Amino acid sequence: MSAIVFENVYRYFTRDGKSFPALDGIDLSVADKEVVALVGPSGCGKTTCLRLAAGFEVPTKGRVTVGGQPVDGPGPDRAVVFQQFALFPWKSVEDNIAFGLRNQGVAASTRRERVSAVIKLMGLEGYETAYPHQLSGGMQQRVAIARAYVLDPEALLMDEPFGALDAQTRIMMQEELVRIARVNPRTVLFITHAVDEAVYLADRVAVMTRRPGRIKEILDVRKVRNAERWNHHERIEDVMDLESFVHLRTHIWRSLREEKIGVAP
Amino acid sequence: MTPSTSPGAHRSATLPARLTRRFLGTGSVLVLLAAWAGLTMVTDTISTSRFPSPLQFWQSTKQIVTVGYADGTLVGHALQSTRLVVLGFAVAAGIGVPLGVLMGWSRRAEALINPAFLVIRPIPPLAWIPLAILWLGLGDAAKIMVIFFAAFVPAVINTLSGIRAIEPPIIEAARMLGTGRWRLLSEVLLPAAAPMIFTGLRLALQAAWTTLVAAELVGALAGLGRVLNMAQQDIYPAMVMVGMAAVGVLGWATTRLLAEMERRAMPWLAH
Amino acid sequence: MASTSQRPLSKLEALILSMIGLAGFFGIWLAASMSGYVPGQFLPTPFEVLARATHLVAAPFAGATLPMHLARSLERYAYGVALAASIGVPLGLAMGLYRWLDDIVTPVFDGLRFIAPIAWVPFAALWFGTGIGGPIMIIFSGAFPPCLMNAHRGARFVDQKYIEAAQMLGTSSLRTITEVLLPASLPSIIAGLRVGAGLGWQSLVGAELIVASAGVGYMIVQGQSNISTPTVMAGMLAIGLVGLLIDVALRQLEALVRRTRGLA
Repeated sequence: MSAIVFENVYRYFTRDGKSFPALDGIDLSVADKEVVALVGPSGCGKTTCLRLAAGFEVPTKGRVTVGGQPVDGPGPDRAVVFQQFALFPWKSVEDNIAFGLRNQGVAASTRRERVSAVIKLMGLEGYETAYPHQLSGGMQQRVAIARAYVLDPEALLMDEPFGALDAQTRIMMQEELVRIARVNPRTVLFITHAVDEAVYLADRVAVMTRRPGRIKEILDVRKVRNAERWNHHERIEDVMDLESFVHLRTHIWRSLREEKIGVAP
Repeated sequence: MTPSTSPGAHRSATLPARLTRRFLGTGSVLVLLAAWAGLTMVTDTISTSRFPSPLQFWQSTKQIVTVGYADGTLVGHALQSTRLVVLGFAVAAGIGVPLGVLMGWSRRAEALINPAFLVIRPIPPLAWIPLAILWLGLGDAAKIMVIFFAAFVPAVINTLSGIRAIEPPIIEAARMLGTGRWRLLSEVLLPAAAPMIFTGLRLALQAAWTTLVAAELVGALAGLGRVLNMAQQDIYPAMVMVGMAAVGVLGWATTRLLAEMERRAMPWLAH
Repeated sequence: MASTSQRPLSKLEALILSMIGLAGFFGIWLAASMSGYVPGQFLPTPFEVLARATHLVAAPFAGATLPMHLARSLERYAYGVALAASIGVPLGLAMGLYRWLDDIVTPVFDGLRFIAPIAWVPFAALWFGTGIGGPIMIIFSGAFPPCLMNAHRGARFVDQKYIEAAQMLGTSSLRTITEVLLPASLPSIIAGLRVGAGLGWQSLVGAELIVASAGVGYMIVQGQSNISTPTVMAGMLAIGLVGLLIDVALRQLEALVRRTRGLA
């Protein structure tokens, strides 16, 4: 069963009375427990896709379903990890993580268990009572991911989750995410500008055209990963050094470059 | 002398530099005090019928503290004034902040309420005094009404701005986490807007004091403004000065109190 | 600016709701004054207020017509604000530049700042009686702090980059002040002038309530003594309107300065 399905999705924006197409017929499905990366040139509408799945926006035509149900507004079944973290600065780390569970009416003792489990998973021990401003960017994003994970969501939607981090922290977080996904696999749809991040993390990579966005091609990374045994390498830099990895990455770059030529105003 | 405008320049690094600054600061105050004493008591350059000497100031203070002036002691008048300020401020905040939240959150509510607000807002708070006296006489109610109008406006405006300034991802995250309406208000909107709300409250408190003193000056039966008024009519500059000093001290004290409440209400801010 | 959960309203919807709100405000006012709950003396209808205002434009009350009262008020106001600006701005700039001056002036200023401008009224009355000096002094005490503080801030917190660029280009001290610091502080100075002008106008009203023999605040007090609520309300609206116009004009000036700077 597919967890996330975009069925012939169109999205138009109106500005000054004129209508602009942002998405021009998106068909995409993310299978259960699959990780799909969405890449594309700036302004292609990938963020819009994510927001449609999250329920922050509504498609003009077509529909988006998650877990078989059409999306009707945001909710904890489609947990979002924002680029700018969006943690509540006035709550401690553990209160931030527990907040969604409180909304669901989860009993206090169960809450505590689940929260400490995910704190352990994300390597946040010792920081439970800290406030976000006291944490580095990487740590804050861990909290944001923890907050999403603890909800046990149908789908995890990540909007450039590592975009606000410096390059080195970013790479460390990518490694982390792979480790966590092995322990606790989930259905994930994420957006990124970094092509090697997409290839490293995803089972499939969907490349979008420039605006108005459509799915240009989808690459099956999992097949290559399994065939070339990327998982036998612990370190990210070793994986990124492999010829098969480089090959995929270059292919995607070239595909994106085609979209950038004749860049729209 | 070369300009010293580097941003770090006001954080003097060296101990001698900091001591010099303290010295200059206290020095200027001391010089002024000495000049005050000298010009009024020693040389008679300033006539004490116009501007009181330090001695007269001290004597008037003693008078109003012990015997009393304008039908009350200093403590009595101070309590009266403070009581009214606190009451008016509380009502203004109690109505203004929720209204500001409503108008900040709902564009519809803002469009509906704004016109009325725009009519009320430009009217300087002190201009309400004659109307308040007409409607409610010279008692406490009139003062509270005027204080309300003065404090209400900054409370609403700053709360509204505070709510509008909340970054959209915070609201979206709250919705994503399935936050119910009341919890959204109490655990997301209010904490997020809290810094600006407190700014509004600070301005409201300032406005409240100004308006209260003015209202009591125009007509009152008790309070520091009354002291000022009577002292003026009695041509008693020393007592005027005592009144002003009292107003200054109370204003400072209530502001500090609010600042302390602000600090405690927002423990998560990096201080 | 971020809208929260509601998207910005369409212009039409905003207009309609505003009209409803305005109508509602006046409707409630009208209903309250006509209902008889409040004696008509104390709550005139909006029309009565308007009629009174129009009447006052031509016919004198408390010594002068409304425009004449306004003129007297504006005269004092102009003097007071001009005085506040011409002392406050240069002093503030100097304090921002020269730390020692800041150290000398600030303690004194901070001590006096907490005394509401209105509390200066009795002294003003003692020294100037009902002459023009009294109101000017009070307007000054209201308008002065923002002028000073904003000029100070503007000069003190000038982006270090500008100073360094000037130094690198070998600029003399004087030229640094006039051609770098002053223009750089200008937005802050103008913001201070706007706030000061607003506070000055408010202080004027307070002053005129107590120590004046002409001017629009005086007119309102006379209206109150004569139990002429329409006069009081007409006066309040006039004060509000003029204050609004002053603020709008200064905001335009501020916006102009910011635009020419590419700051807005």
